[in-house]
Amino acid sequence: MWEDFKSQFILNFVDDGRWHYLANGLLVTLKLTFFSVLLGLVLGFCIAMIRNIHDNTGKLKIPNFLCNLYLTVIRGTPVVVQLMIIYFVIFGSVRIDKVLTAILAFGINSGAYQAEIFRSGIQSIPKGQMEAGRSLGFSYLETMTRIIMPQAVKNVVPTLLNEVITLLKETSIAGYIALEDLTKGGDIIRSRTYSAFMPLIAVALIYLVMVRLLEFAAKKVERRLKKNEK
Amino acid sequence: MKNDYSQSPLISVRDLQKSFGDHKVLNGITVDIAKGDVVCVIGPSGSGKSTFLRCLNRLDEPTGGEIIFDGVNICDPSTDIDLHRQKMGMVFQQFNLFPHMNILRNLTIAPMALQKKSKEEAEGYAMELLERVGLANRAKDYPLQLSGGQQQRIAIVRALCMKPEVMLFDEPTSALDPEMVGEVLEVMKELASEHMTMVVVTHEMGFAREVASRVMFLDGGDFLEENAPEEFFSNPQNDRLRDFLSKVL
Ligand SMILES: Nc1ncnc2c1ncn2[C@@H]1O[C@H](COP(=O)(O)OP(=O)(O)OP(=O)(O)O)[C@@H](O)[C@H]1O
Ligand SMILES: [Mg+2]
Repeated sequence: MWEDFKSQFILNFVDDGRWHYLANGLLVTLKLTFFSVLLGLVLGFCIAMIRNIHDNTGKLKIPNFLCNLYLTVIRGTPVVVQLMIIYFVIFGSVRIDKVLTAILAFGINSGAYQAEIFRSGIQSIPKGQMEAGRSLGFSYLETMTRIIMPQAVKNVVPTLLNEVITLLKETSIAGYIALEDLTKGGDIIRSRTYSAFMPLIAVALIYLVMVRLLEFAAKKVERRLKKNEK
Repeated sequence: MKNDYSQSPLISVRDLQKSFGDHKVLNGITVDIAKGDVVCVIGPSGSGKSTFLRCLNRLDEPTGGEIIFDGVNICDPSTDIDLHRQKMGMVFQQFNLFPHMNILRNLTIAPMALQKKSKEEAEGYAMELLERVGLANRAKDYPLQLSGGQQQRIAIVRALCMKPEVMLFDEPTSALDPEMVGEVLEVMKELASEHMTMVVVTHEMGFAREVASRVMFLDGGDFLEENAPEEFFSNPQNDRLRDFLSKVL
């Protein structure tokens, strides 16, 4: 039993330095997650602002329309389809870096969800805060950026960290465009060694550890924010 | 209005109207507010008192009439209302302090950002005012660490830090526990004694009687009567006012 485990382990991870598939894959997965979250953050923030300005002032009609279109399309289609469309259709003829393509796809996807998160964060701030800001002489935008957003962001940090966890797991479909992320790495080992158990369980464990770490960080951050609140 | 003003009024409200959709809330209100006036606005719930007050700095957008403030019709869409609001302090029933900033920051953010005061100057003035309302020792605390009465005193100071020409109060003591009402009214009385121009929506008849220079009665969106407090309370003319006073006094 133990001998069997040992030989399987050596076959899957040590021979030919196969663990590199997992290590390099993990790096790609982390890179994808990190930059997609960042892109999604920027997109989500801007979209939430545009929609909020539109809802409260009636300005920005066309940008608001575009935002709604974007949200409808992104949230109404599977992310793997979006990824393939961006890779095979939009960048079908120009071969740009796969990692970059994937970051674009995941970032654009995440942006739609982060926009909703920011929006609900903004809506959770009592109306009186905007009125107090305006009554002092701040413009709508100044009140938004100085008074509403800092509170809204604070409220949504836990939800945003959840979105990071979701995205980390979602990037596992990057293999569809032949990107060698963590999942694909495990799959490559499987195809070389003809044993599925070890590499796939290893992949699952690595995801699990990453998610647990992020959850731990989220709890820490949340507690920190609560303490400052008062 | 029978008041004789030696100078032009600070705020001149002409035929002010406000509707929310089909619902007409203010039916053409005309009133002058002179420098140093303390105008108390009273009336039954839903009569439009808050709406009237909030129209004065256009937190509610008037749907008709004009408001001349400092010689400018601030209802004109071309006026920069943000600029005028700097000169009109407002105090809300719910305080509306900024919970993510400490007290000192609550008091200095607007003067520093909007009036380009230096940090030293803004903080110096804020501390001076805090001292006067007896809360200087709470400067580094956060709003939610304070009692309602303390928060409302801070909210008054926050408005004062902009050195406004008029202060608008919307039932500043209605959200307070009874034992905290006094400390807030005290601050307002002191302001009045320093000749701050004030418009106060209130249910505190005692305060109106003691501090107001004029009392205004609103009912059903109509401005029905106004007078010096003595006359207003002891010799009301309008039937609805008489009826109202008989219920609240
Ligand atoms: N944003 C709004 N949209 C629609 N109707 C409103 C709005 N604000 C106020 N109203 C209506 O306008 C009328 C007057 O409201 P207002 O708040 O000015 O009364 P009030 O005299 O301040 O009453 P209270 O003493 O209860 O504070 C009410 O019938 C109210 O329902
Ligand atoms: Mg009211």
